[in-house]
Amino acid sequence: MRAAVLSIPISGIAMIVGAAIAYQATGGRSCARCHEIQPAVDLWNQSTHRSVPCAECHGGLFTFEFHFHWKNFRQLLRHLAGRVPQQIALRERREIDRAMAACRRCHEQEYARWQAGPHSVTYRQIFLDEQHNRKRLLMDDCLRCHGMHYPGNIAALVTPVDTRGPWRLLDQEMENRPTIPCLACHEIHRRGQPMGPQRRPRRAGPQQEEFRPSLALFDRRTQTHFSVASMPVPQVYDNGRPLVMSRDPRQALCYQCHAPLATAERASGDDRTCRGVHEGLSCLACHEAHGQDTRASCKNCHPRLSNCGLDVETMDTTFKDPASKHNIHFVQCSDCHPKGVPRRARGERGLAEARRALD
Amino acid sequence: MALKHVDAVVIGSGAGGGIVAKELACAGMKVVLLERGRWVTPADCRKDDLRNQRTSVLGAPFGPDDEGNPRVYVDLQGREHIVYPSRGAYHNNAMCVGGGTASYGAMAWRFMPQDFKMRSTYGPVEGSTLEDWPISYADLEPFYEKAEWELGVSGDDGPNPFKGPRRRPLPMPPLPPNREYEILKPAALRLGWHPFDIPMLRNSVPYDGRPPCMRCRWCVGFACEVNAKNGTQNTVIPKALATGNCELRTECVAREILLDHKGRARAVVYHDRDGRIQTQPANLIVVSCGAIESARLLLNSKSKWFPNGIGNNHDWVGRNLQGHTYTGAIGLFPFDCYDDLGPGASIAICDFNHGNPGLVGGAMLANEFIRLPYQFVQRVQSFVPKSWGKPFKDFMRQWYRRSIMVQGPVQEMPMWEARVQLDPKVKDRWGIPVARLSGRKHPHTLEVAEYISQKAELWLREAGAIQTFRRVPGPELSAGQHQAGTCRMGKDPKTSVVDPYCRVHDVENLYVVDASVHVTNGGFNPVLTIMAIAYWAAHHILKAHRAS
Amino acid sequence: MSRKHTLSRRKVLQVTVLGAPTHFACRRERSRYRFFTAREAAIVAAICDHIIPPDDFPGAVQAGVVNFLDLQLTGHYRYLQQAYRRGIAEIDAAAQEKFGRSFLELSPDEQVELLEERQKTEFFRMIRDHTMQGYYGDPRHGGNLDAVSWKMLGIPHPPVRGRDHYSLEES
Repeated sequence: MRAAVLSIPISGIAMIVGAAIAYQATGGRSCARCHEIQPAVDLWNQSTHRSVPCAECHGGLFTFEFHFHWKNFRQLLRHLAGRVPQQIALRERREIDRAMAACRRCHEQEYARWQAGPHSVTYRQIFLDEQHNRKRLLMDDCLRCHGMHYPGNIAALVTPVDTRGPWRLLDQEMENRPTIPCLACHEIHRRGQPMGPQRRPRRAGPQQEEFRPSLALFDRRTQTHFSVASMPVPQVYDNGRPLVMSRDPRQALCYQCHAPLATAERASGDDRTCRGVHEGLSCLACHEAHGQDTRASCKNCHPRLSNCGLDVETMDTTFKDPASKHNIHFVQCSDCHPKGVPRRARGERGLAEARRALD
Repeated sequence: MALKHVDAVVIGSGAGGGIVAKELACAGMKVVLLERGRWVTPADCRKDDLRNQRTSVLGAPFGPDDEGNPRVYVDLQGREHIVYPSRGAYHNNAMCVGGGTASYGAMAWRFMPQDFKMRSTYGPVEGSTLEDWPISYADLEPFYEKAEWELGVSGDDGPNPFKGPRRRPLPMPPLPPNREYEILKPAALRLGWHPFDIPMLRNSVPYDGRPPCMRCRWCVGFACEVNAKNGTQNTVIPKALATGNCELRTECVAREILLDHKGRARAVVYHDRDGRIQTQPANLIVVSCGAIESARLLLNSKSKWFPNGIGNNHDWVGRNLQGHTYTGAIGLFPFDCYDDLGPGASIAICDFNHGNPGLVGGAMLANEFIRLPYQFVQRVQSFVPKSWGKPFKDFMRQWYRRSIMVQGPVQEMPMWEARVQLDPKVKDRWGIPVARLSGRKHPHTLEVAEYISQKAELWLREAGAIQTFRRVPGPELSAGQHQAGTCRMGKDPKTSVVDPYCRVHDVENLYVVDASVHVTNGGFNPVLTIMAIAYWAAHHILKAHRAS
Repeated sequence: MSRKHTLSRRKVLQVTVLGAPTHFACRRERSRYRFFTAREAAIVAAICDHIIPPDDFPGAVQAGVVNFLDLQLTGHYRYLQQAYRRGIAEIDAAAQEKFGRSFLELSPDEQVELLEERQKTEFFRMIRDHTMQGYYGDPRHGGNLDAVSWKMLGIPHPPVRGRDHYSLEES
């Protein structure tokens, strides 16, 4: 009896030590088979992060965290029982937390921007928003863009699912968790070249972002990532007129959530496709990728003064004041010049000013 | 140990049971609603095109599980097969809260006045038990209206001259037309037909606190992620629960109905979610398990009054099992017809439901819901010269977006031989004898189907199809999601199971409220009729209950 | 120290020592598949690629259909394992009978010829249907990599579809 009791912790420790040796010796390849993670390991081998060892993101073996060992043990049991997981995904929130902490260690700047920006919005802010919940019924589709990693349905997350409230999260721990974590837009195990110093563009900026292979949407329905290259950018219309769409492929990611209704009309649903003076611009022309901040963006195109010779940042648009009736996405010349754009303002002076500013 | 006595037990929470439970609970009765399935949410099948109520090749997420829920199917050659829910021939209807309404396509048809008078309209049909309903369209009209307004129906049947009279229009306008609609409408008008917007239990505008359809491509066979599809699980059942009078017990499988010494229904014996046997006594019992399972439950409830199962002293329980003979055509067009606007089905005609020369009954014709890629493979496989290899891949590429399918549910001639029995050997997980399905379609049903499919083909040709394939099913039994007929409604206890108010003859407090009571199943999707009958039955149950 | 004690200590050791080698047992290279043997997988791959051949869009194999079959045969299609084993063996036997060589040694044209002869068999119909499922079905099941068949058919995925929540006018 005592032998049996003793053997449990001892063989547990032995397993862990054995596993650690196996992991060190083969760099994770030997773990794949019994933990049934071969496809994920194969992908990782071809990914940008191939030089980052598994343990870096998924946690090392020498930890006192019970759940970590328990999860691994259950995977082994499933393997022995011949129950192969049909999909491999990070399911437990601890694992997602751990992965995010790993992202942060290397991509500190991006993490900080994300944290300061609107996409770090928490479950509490999204699902317990009185103003929203009184007007709109909570539904499973909310989770498509907010909380795509949440494993259950909306009724398992929030109660009550009605427009009367008061609302609360069934699991209080969820409250301060982010609804749009790194993994919502990045697939870490996606095929790509490691970004070594020789490959890095000289100046960091949009160009560097563009070639990030990890850009991929986590689709809650299929529980897989779809790469930005394979996703559609819709044709959006302004009263039936097809708008000029930017050819920036990264936008495909934005459109998944900031999507127009089935009519594909501009400004329907959560669409912000630009019409008017900004038509044809990519979302990422103005919005910083991680923080979504647009504060410094005007200067990229309007170095000092606008084409009319005005300081664009002080013009009456939602950029200056969110209450303005001229939404920066849709503002047109005719909004301020209902009788037509004056020739002089458009030409000479404004342009001259702009050129001078550029020099 | 018996549970606390209640006023009513409703077995099954689908289209019929959900509504009866709500009506009784709102009238102040204490109701227990038993459901053998679970609450199924969109998160459970997540728009999986291989694992849904329509294409269940990788499982039936709306229940029941393959394990422990077999049935026996007897094919045309008399061979027996043990069948499972996710595979063919099971004739599955979803088993979950809301039943089929949690995942259906949600067409909300009223039957036509003639559909209730098939025998007197057409005379007897040899080899068929074709009969009139004991109730008429006029009897049901107010209850159709109630269903349309309480659950919410969008559409516009104004231009349909064949419909029965209605007092009130539909509560919601139709969804904006999709491309198939735009292609088919002028063609139907050119043919002198009368196309109109299909009535659907689907919100086109915000209704009753729920949002409108977002028009995704996964509709029929899936649970709605925005709650725009109106089933009993998101309309009447929550209302019933909110009264505090209705208790929903999920994962509870009814085993039999007990009678007392006077031959009145006394209690329901069921297995709770842990498999324990429970006995729920009640003043009133309503069976709403769908045509196959309701019949099975009655047949499994044997007593000295009813040695062959409740209501079965004249051998009518389980007889006349019928569904719909879906028939139609696929047309290939020289231009794109696909616009990715769900649900897809949008336009219908009722020109061929009745009055077809030399034929009994007919069918509504409508364009089909969006066919997901694998569904399209299944649909065209039998038509193409080669169903694999490069030619088939090319076929898919060329025609997937350039095809329209028009089809309709042909009203079947009821068959005495098409039936649900108890299998003498096979039992389910709880040791209850399972349903044994046998029989075939009436030959005339296939003649009507042939005729209707020609009309579908004509419509597609007129719309510009360069090639068409007609699709007429074989003579095998059809039940499945439109299963009906097994507890026929009638005035004479010798030739029917329930009376015009859905009460089982000779048992004053036992009702069957689902498509089992349909005498004939119309040339339409039956769900709105099931709902109307549920309101009709509930109305009479309440009258009888209040009187006593 | 009593005899009883030494025995139990040995037991402790036995159980403990058993733990570690399991990891090294796992290092052995075996079939990449969970159900198929390497040879079966090769035959299945050849059949699948005849059912959906590659052209300017990937064929069945490139789209991961073999992985789909292998995965599903350990999942929902477990009940078809024997049917697959038998069916693959039958095809191989038929190749021996007709050409005197195994299926994998046949030229692609000979393979197609053989499959055409056998296209009415239950096994061929089954593997055809399953190949279609893997290729045209949802990527979550292990086939249709990156939704490649949907792209071929012209179905945008994931669809861009918003719904009426906060509209600009209201906010």
